[in-house]
Amino acid sequence: MSGAGSGERTLELLIGPQHPASGHMRLVAEVDGDVVVRLRPDIGYVHRTVEKIAETKTYLQTIPLIERPPLADTANHNLGYVMAVERLLGVEAPPRAQWLRTLLAEMNRIHSHLYGLGIHGIMLGSSTAFMWAFGDREIMIEMAKRLTGARITYSYMIPGGVRRDLPPGFAEEMEKALRYLERRLPDYDRIFFSNPVTRARLEGVGVLTREDAIRLGVVGPNLRASGVAYDVRRARPYAAYPELDFQVVTRSEGDSMARMLVRVGEIRESIRMIRQILARMPDGPILAERYAKMIPPKWRDYVRETGRIKFPAILASLRPPKGAEAVSRVEAARGEAVFYLVSDGGPRPYRMRMVTPSLRNVVLFSHLTRGCRVADIPAIYGSLDYFPPEADR
Amino acid sequence: MVCGLSGTVLVGNLERSARRAARWLVERTPVRGIRDWGIKFSLWPVHFTTACCGAEFAAASAPRFDAERFGFLPFVGPRQCNLMLIEGTLTRKMAEAAVWVYEQMPEPKFVMSMGACAIDGGIFWNSYNIVRPKDILPVEVFVPGCPPRPEAVARSIIMLQKRIERGESVGLRV
Ligand code: SF4
Repeated sequence: MSGAGSGERTLELLIGPQHPASGHMRLVAEVDGDVVVRLRPDIGYVHRTVEKIAETKTYLQTIPLIERPPLADTANHNLGYVMAVERLLGVEAPPRAQWLRTLLAEMNRIHSHLYGLGIHGIMLGSSTAFMWAFGDREIMIEMAKRLTGARITYSYMIPGGVRRDLPPGFAEEMEKALRYLERRLPDYDRIFFSNPVTRARLEGVGVLTREDAIRLGVVGPNLRASGVAYDVRRARPYAAYPELDFQVVTRSEGDSMARMLVRVGEIRESIRMIRQILARMPDGPILAERYAKMIPPKWRDYVRETGRIKFPAILASLRPPKGAEAVSRVEAARGEAVFYLVSDGGPRPYRMRMVTPSLRNVVLFSHLTRGCRVADIPAIYGSLDYFPPEADR
Repeated sequence: MVCGLSGTVLVGNLERSARRAARWLVERTPVRGIRDWGIKFSLWPVHFTTACCGAEFAAASAPRFDAERFGFLPFVGPRQCNLMLIEGTLTRKMAEAAVWVYEQMPEPKFVMSMGACAIDGGIFWNSYNIVRPKDILPVEVFVPGCPPRPEAVARSIIMLQKRIERGESVGLRV
């Protein structure tokens, strides 16, 4: 209690870090009765010094490292980092690799959005939404597992290409999975999105106006739900996005419901994109010629037959030119991620900077909760799809 | 206190002796077996996410893997929980909270640590901000992997149940 007896009437409430609706952080809320006067997110509970550790690892070893903070959304960050490394080195992945990267990135976007949806559901007290979203997420995870061999930490993209080619029969299985997801989305609509309880708790709660969204530098679905059609995939197309036909999903309301529905819209767009990718995937190598010719001859047949890259030794000690710098931007599931690399000519990055979408959205906690009810805090938190490890790095 | 019971005279603190007798009885085979059997199927992990392994932990509780069939259901308050699952890296700031949460849990209580990070730092072994859970908490089961697959989490739950059944994990701080 702050200032009890001294005439003040606000109470300081600590939510978390051990709380189902706090994730890996603490929310310090100053409440007046049931109204939140001010809410301060206390971040840093998952600060694992990723940027500093990156300086002690080689360029290839850093790939798993940068995947750890955004654990539900690894492929997009992996892509961003690898793009920056490729710019440092001046290599480019062959077209097929670019399309495969885009494929995995979109698959990851679907299961990351479902993850966010499930967590949002549990924060609202709707176990059904959690169970459904997490159950359906497994389908995309299973498909990604067939492609990469891992459930969520793929490390699929390597400088110059990707690790594996499409396994046989992948496109048909994927089509089944997509059809299933498409069938499921209307069910979600019926049970969850148009549920009167959900609507009462989300509509008009935590409204972010277009101006504020731009002023605060918000990114990703949270920005698009406020009516700003900014998407890196459109603004600065990378990988195979220039050739894909997709829409930037926006809504104008800017409330928690809109943020959730934008994600659902993006799942639909990703489904469309995956179909296009699988239909139009170009043939060709999956590793840049420059590295592919360094694969030892005795492994070349193996690589050709199985579509699995045997890493040429050069990848373990990539040395970009001294003083080179590179920046890359990708649209990760939660928003725009920026990677900045500086090389000093050695095998390890001199500096790796990683700006994650959650880090840029954390400002919304104090902005959106001003004047809301205590019960709205989880509703707003969930709608932001904020992942503390990603923000703290 | 002195009290007479049909001719015999008991000397001493009756209440304390009764408590000791009860504890003695509970530790004897049949009662203890029943008790451990009960604990085995009511492991309530506290809802405490420490790092990214939490994503796979959530998947373990979700329909495909369904850890609830082992009597394992995350619960909100530490006062009603008897299992603490360290889900990945413990940073310094989080470690403090972890100890607080652990101390609030009633005995018998168990600690499992999930992920390479929670064993010996994993990919973050040379980070300046992490703590190894085994240094601050009595960890009983380690689940390797980065992140461990949900099946591994399920298996570790079964392992803990076996340990409880065999009396290897008593869940008391000694
Ligand atoms: S073991 Fe891996 S997944 Fe788990 S917390 Fe550590 S880095 Fe994250």
